[in-house]
Amino acid sequence: MGIWAEERGAKMGIDDRRYSGLFADIADFIEGWPGGSLITTTADKLFSWARKSSLWPLTFGLACCAIEMMATFASRFDLDRFGVILRASPRQSDVMIIAGTVTEKMALPIVRLYEQMAEPKWVISMGSCANTGGVFRDLYPVVPGVDKIIPVDIYVPGCPPTPEALMEGILALQRKVMEGR
Amino acid sequence: MIADIWTWIWAFVGGAILAFIAILIIAYLTWIERKFAGRAQSRIGPYWVGRPHGWLQPIADVIKIMLKEDIVPEDADKISFNLAPMFVFVPAMMLFAPIPISEGLVLSDLTLGLLYFLAVSSLSAIGIFMAGWGSNSKYAMLSGMRTVAQMISYEVPLVLTLIVPALSYGSFKLSEIVELQKGGWFLTKPFIGQTTFLLFLLAGLAELKKPPFDVPEAESELVAGFSVEYSGMKFAFFYAAEYAHLLAVSALGAVLFLGGWDGPFIPGFLWFFLKTFFLLFLILWIRWSFIRVRIDQIIGFGWKFLFPLSILNLAIAGLIVL
Amino acid sequence: MREEEIVLSMGPQHPSTHGVLRLILRVAGEEVLSVEPEIGYLHRGFEKLGEASSYIGYTPIVDRQDYLTSASNEFAFCLAAERIAGIEVPKRAQYLRVIAAELNRIASHLVWLGTWCLDLGGALGGGTTIYMYCFRERERILDLLEEWTGARLLYGILQPGGIRYDLPRGFHEKAKESLELVLSRIDEYHDFLSGNPVFVERTRGVGVASAELCKALGLSGPIIRGAGIPFDVRKAMPYSSYEDFDFTIPTGKDGDCYDRYVVRMEEMRQAIRITMQALEGLPEGPINPRPHYRSPVAFRPPKGEAISCVESPRGMICAYIVSDGTERPYRVRWRTPSFAAVQAMRYIAPGHKVADMVSILGSLDPVLGDVDR
Repeated sequence: MGIWAEERGAKMGIDDRRYSGLFADIADFIEGWPGGSLITTTADKLFSWARKSSLWPLTFGLACCAIEMMATFASRFDLDRFGVILRASPRQSDVMIIAGTVTEKMALPIVRLYEQMAEPKWVISMGSCANTGGVFRDLYPVVPGVDKIIPVDIYVPGCPPTPEALMEGILALQRKVMEGR
Repeated sequence: MIADIWTWIWAFVGGAILAFIAILIIAYLTWIERKFAGRAQSRIGPYWVGRPHGWLQPIADVIKIMLKEDIVPEDADKISFNLAPMFVFVPAMMLFAPIPISEGLVLSDLTLGLLYFLAVSSLSAIGIFMAGWGSNSKYAMLSGMRTVAQMISYEVPLVLTLIVPALSYGSFKLSEIVELQKGGWFLTKPFIGQTTFLLFLLAGLAELKKPPFDVPEAESELVAGFSVEYSGMKFAFFYAAEYAHLLAVSALGAVLFLGGWDGPFIPGFLWFFLKTFFLLFLILWIRWSFIRVRIDQIIGFGWKFLFPLSILNLAIAGLIVL
Repeated sequence: MREEEIVLSMGPQHPSTHGVLRLILRVAGEEVLSVEPEIGYLHRGFEKLGEASSYIGYTPIVDRQDYLTSASNEFAFCLAAERIAGIEVPKRAQYLRVIAAELNRIASHLVWLGTWCLDLGGALGGGTTIYMYCFRERERILDLLEEWTGARLLYGILQPGGIRYDLPRGFHEKAKESLELVLSRIDEYHDFLSGNPVFVERTRGVGVASAELCKALGLSGPIIRGAGIPFDVRKAMPYSSYEDFDFTIPTGKDGDCYDRYVVRMEEMRQAIRITMQALEGLPEGPINPRPHYRSPVAFRPPKGEAISCVESPRGMICAYIVSDGTERPYRVRWRTPSFAAVQAMRYIAPGHKVADMVSILGSLDPVLGDVDR
């Protein structure tokens, strides 16, 4: 039972197809018609818009960055404006914001939580410690960057990143979702 | 056996229209709540999703939830787990049937409308228990049990309280109750009106699982409660059922206490909506202002305080009617 | 009728534990029989890092330990380093350090109040409202600190020998305005909460930490003051000219959650008082004895060891440094207050309901960076 990405394989559970299962069959069927691609691409845009407008992060603060994340959700830098609500259960959230240092003891719970999230899901790595291990990079208990254990979509630099930086990270994720995965 | 084809058509088409309108209102209820909460907390709520003021936010939420992967835990009880959302959502939608929106405009004018309402609203407790059990998770189970305990405890004061308007007007038929309030609303009755309204508010809040009685959804204690293992559309059903229940209870309150569609100048159904939304705002306002009460305190409050008071209230109302 | 015992695990991912703490509860029905905290999820190796960094380089890093009050961590380290080196910190720097520490205290207590009410009240209810208000007030204090130091949360403002930056122009007026606003709002929140019967019901008599227990476990800060013992490092072992300021130490009576809450609210008021006194009586002078301390290898204390204790919003932080004459410490040992507070959960919590766990944990106010180091 390995937690390191290299052990679990490069994919780490990412599904490359745009749709899966029943959706894929329907999409293939529609694209068989003349002009069918118009329908699927418009539907694509609608779905991407819906996904980006309603990103629900999982509350997952580990260390100091958690405080800045909490401040971002507070009154001054309100994130509810963008449709972002914090959910407590991993099954109901779309984004996992890793805020803080990842230690080896914590790595396994993080991977478990990531696997429990429902597709489609994204990860924002917030702060230097989550990006690369930060000041603690070479120390014995610290995982040098959360991308060693789960795939990361957006990296937000800073120690800690200011709430404006985190907001820019979430908006960047929205842009990425809008492009489609 | 109903022989008339028109009754059948009216039942299905009318029901579909009512359900559709109710779902639309419920979706925008989430938007209203977030905006209201935002303003109460000195911030703005949804804004960017469909400028201005984020009015496309509920639509985005719904589409996104429909596209989410549907996860069923391996060891979950398949039947319980999959059916539970239905058992919670369908009763909540059925509650809208006997409520009179305007003069003569009611889907199903049952003679026992009030009793039907009370009976159906307690069915959702079964659904919640099924969700807690079927999730195969300690937390969901615990939360399910607490929820059912709370809902059952507050059934009794709620029923006793809601019988008082029926007693005063001598009928369970909701449209008749509204007609009889034409002279003066129930709320304005000297003593009984206000106390009954207060008791109804308290018991109703506990039934609806809204703060300050929202232990079932106690996020900070047992992580989102009975719906912790649900994702995607099933979770959306729980969420929607909560708001549907809220809307239905507000509508009932408007009908029983505030005179339904009665009012001068503007058409009846507008008055009905205004009164429903007034009650809705009241409940939302209470929600965003109060700290949660602990579960044993909630149940203690229900049995030791609300229950005797509602009996007393009923007795006084009975005396007045006599 | 004995109900079946089940074992619940709260955390490590949990919206309400203040960080990554795992509580293993044994529960019978609704009552908690025993609590076992499991820590170590945020162990980052500060003490090892201390051996590898220079004194001047380590001081900003040590902010991250108790990340809500970076000034206190730096304070303890710098005082100990200065004690070994035998340096006298200039008066102006001492006053500025006091200002930084007290502003930090207010900010930290505001976070505590916000998150505690969030736990008590629910993320979708009244608790969120107070959380938003507290963070809004905290933003004003953070504005002041950001103008001074350039950072919102982790300042790096102290260094061994003095302080790094002087106050910007106009700080006094802005501080006065902000602090008056924060003071009025604190009074508002106090009225709001202590007049709310739901709140009082949930906190009175809950989580009693008696004076004997506090002394046995080495609890300090608002916890021991809530139990009635007026122990405050600022008065007991004054450092950095705290003896020049006039402030009182609030104490409670029973040591329950409500008393700790009252103690912390009063501490915020006293902190505002101290800051205003410090700003008004700020002496002129240098902020650092020798400018070339800005270079990391320049601070080379002689061989020796020293310990220094500081009052952080959580309690007493002590730093014990052993120096071997080079610019890196030989050993840094931290004694942190949240460690004892988390231990106290084992003794305080049994007998309460599951819902009280968050209430008690919140009122003990542990910060996991402090616990795990």
